[in-house]
Amino acid sequence: MTQLPAPGATPAAPPPAEPLPTTTPARPRWRETLGLLARNPTAAVSATVLVLIVLVAVFDETLAPYGPNEQDPSLQLQPPSRDHPFGTDEFGRDVFSRVILGAGTSLRVGFLSVAFALVVGTLIGLVAGYYGRWVDDTLMRLMDVLFAFPAVLLAIAIVAIRGAGPANAILAIGIVYVPIFARVTRASVLGVREEVYVRASRSVGASDWRLITRHVLPNAAPPIIVQTSVSLAFAVLAEAALSFLGLGPRRPNPSWGLMLADGRGFIEQAWWYAVFPGLAIVVTVLCFNLLGDGLRDVLDPRQRTLMAGGGR
Amino acid sequence: MRTNRLLPLAAAAALLLSACGGGESVDTGGGGGGGDDVLIAAVSAEPDQFDPHVTNAYASFQVLENVYDTLVVPSAEDLTMQPSLAESWTTSPDGLSWTFTLRDGVPFHDGSEFDSADVVYSFNRIIDEELTNAYRFATVSDVTAPDPRTVVVTLTEPTPNLLAQIGSFKGMAIVSENAAEEFDLQSEANGTGPFRLESSDANATVLTAFDEHWGGAPSIDGVEFRYITEPTAALTALRNGEIQWTDNVPPQNVADLEGDDEVELGSVTSVEYFYMSMNYAVPPFDNRDVRRAIATAVDREEVTQAARFGAAQPNQTAIPQGSPWYLDYAPFTPDQEAARQLLEQAGVQTPITMGLMVTDESPETVAAAQVIASQLEPIGIDVEIQEEDLATWLDRQSEGEFDAFMLSWIGNIDPADFYENQHLSTGGSNYQGYSNPQVDDLLSRAATEPDQAARKALYDQAAQLVVDDVSYLYLYNPDEVQAWAPGLTGYQVRADAAIDFQNVELP
Repeated sequence: MTQLPAPGATPAAPPPAEPLPTTTPARPRWRETLGLLARNPTAAVSATVLVLIVLVAVFDETLAPYGPNEQDPSLQLQPPSRDHPFGTDEFGRDVFSRVILGAGTSLRVGFLSVAFALVVGTLIGLVAGYYGRWVDDTLMRLMDVLFAFPAVLLAIAIVAIRGAGPANAILAIGIVYVPIFARVTRASVLGVREEVYVRASRSVGASDWRLITRHVLPNAAPPIIVQTSVSLAFAVLAEAALSFLGLGPRRPNPSWGLMLADGRGFIEQAWWYAVFPGLAIVVTVLCFNLLGDGLRDVLDPRQRTLMAGGGR
Repeated sequence: MRTNRLLPLAAAAALLLSACGGGESVDTGGGGGGGDDVLIAAVSAEPDQFDPHVTNAYASFQVLENVYDTLVVPSAEDLTMQPSLAESWTTSPDGLSWTFTLRDGVPFHDGSEFDSADVVYSFNRIIDEELTNAYRFATVSDVTAPDPRTVVVTLTEPTPNLLAQIGSFKGMAIVSENAAEEFDLQSEANGTGPFRLESSDANATVLTAFDEHWGGAPSIDGVEFRYITEPTAALTALRNGEIQWTDNVPPQNVADLEGDDEVELGSVTSVEYFYMSMNYAVPPFDNRDVRRAIATAVDREEVTQAARFGAAQPNQTAIPQGSPWYLDYAPFTPDQEAARQLLEQAGVQTPITMGLMVTDESPETVAAAQVIASQLEPIGIDVEIQEEDLATWLDRQSEGEFDAFMLSWIGNIDPADFYENQHLSTGGSNYQGYSNPQVDDLLSRAATEPDQAARKALYDQAAQLVVDDVSYLYLYNPDEVQAWAPGLTGYQVRADAAIDFQNVELP
């Protein structure tokens, strides 16, 4: 109904397609964002590499030349060759295939845990920021408690209590990142809440639900999107750390962290065993981080004007 | 790597295995012992205590081996029992009484003279206080000392392996009379061995030579045991000359080290054995055919290659080749087709799932389990590898909460040590729930059979049944691999993994 144009760079926001905080402000803005992102070389390269990694994870079984547990004792710890581009491990398994098949594990845990943190954290932040007062105090102090623990330590504690396994790893990493999303969302909502268009909408009798979904959330979204990308980097890293410590997927499932842990003992005889899974982790984490940086540049209005003005 | 092997087969927790050593770093400052000629040895774990009659930890026995003596001692070559504190012994015709003549002129570290009262005190301490190795004296009714040079051991039934029972390792060491009252045996020692216990802390245990030792003064001035948990770190320390000896050698390095001038390597097939065991209370593993199908599907050569890089002997029974008790019996030939048929015969609907419990404190079992998982998959058995810490592992084992598990035992010397506790219906370590009256009968007859050949025949029959029924699925005997600095002489790697530095000479 009553839609007032947002001040600044944001044109009228159409209703979001999903009830979740997604990246759907106005289409022109969406296009503009992509365009700016494409002109940021680091972000563009990172995004491309990430798309490739996701594709690898999706088509892993087609791409992997060998099965994850195909053993051949006669090929123990062979250096990289044409048949085994990343060499073989102590069971004669193909490290290349296992790195490919491990991508799915890492990304699945990464995406699902961040999705959990995103949904729960954003909801908490929205409610806290929008309603304020004691609701805000209660929720945010709770978040502070969670925030007080070092992230990986908290994740290890949660997994230790609930038992090892991918599902618990997802939950643990998810819980660890809830407070960050809650804080980012709340801060952003506090700013948007008092905007003229929100007050106007409220004065004509719009419901809280409508206000939150139509006006507050879409306009508070950019920092959350940036946070999502950065969190993905940390989540993939945390997954690797948990697996390395034996708290993630069980052997013999392929997992980058586990391969790194196992390969560590062979670093003198077979560098490829630990190096390639390690590289996979580094590249993925780095790309999520760089993409996050790029997104921040693009979505932060001030920075954005600067870029649109032609320069960085 | 084994770290803290609890020595063998006690009815209770003689689970031989590694407990995580504390992860101490290398102390490069040389806090040595008495003289200049100190051997610095790296072991993987810190001793838990030094009371030989109480401790069960391999890390403690590595040290105690050099501090205490027993009446008889296994020879380095073939582990047959040789005189030590006892010079000779005779057995009564009915086999119920053994008379030991003791060595003369043996001093304890505190200067007092060794005599028969010390033996009586030591043995009675173990028996009366029901200490760790009391079960080894189960048939002993009385220990007496008619004169200072003679000890008589009276038995309730013939015990042909008495020498192995009282001499296999230093758990049955002779301490001086009233030592428990005069010394704090947890941290002090008063033995007759070639070295005296000087000090021990979180960084190192230091021994100094005991020049009045009855076998002659050691050629070195002392030994310093340092604790290095990581095998690769121990190897680096050896290469750098920080240490001169270690038994913490990564199996994957063995092949490379054989051609290495900076390191000398000694290796012998040990009396330790790795095995897998299935729960007789959990269907379908209660079915003999299912167990035999699994035993047929497992290729031990492949397991050994992946878990030990070949530094082991595949074996379908427990006792290693080279032992006088070795039985050449290998009924299973790896054959997945035959295994599948056996499963079909058993009427089992595949695929079935089998949880296989291993512990990260014995990394070899984690590796072996992955090979076995890949070997059982084609016959329709889905192996879920359950990695537990040792405490949880032991809990689940004693609660019977497992489909199958894998670990190792140090079998030691006498065949009774290999079979009784694990395969008697009433055996203290028979967690799988094996019960075969024929095996029970054979084992109890073997225990009292005085004739060696007849005794071996009985154990051979029992072992064949154990293997055929797959009470244990035996995998391999690992090599005991130790490394030292080139030029170090007078040291010999032993199959029972006892470490004896008495005759070592430094380069």
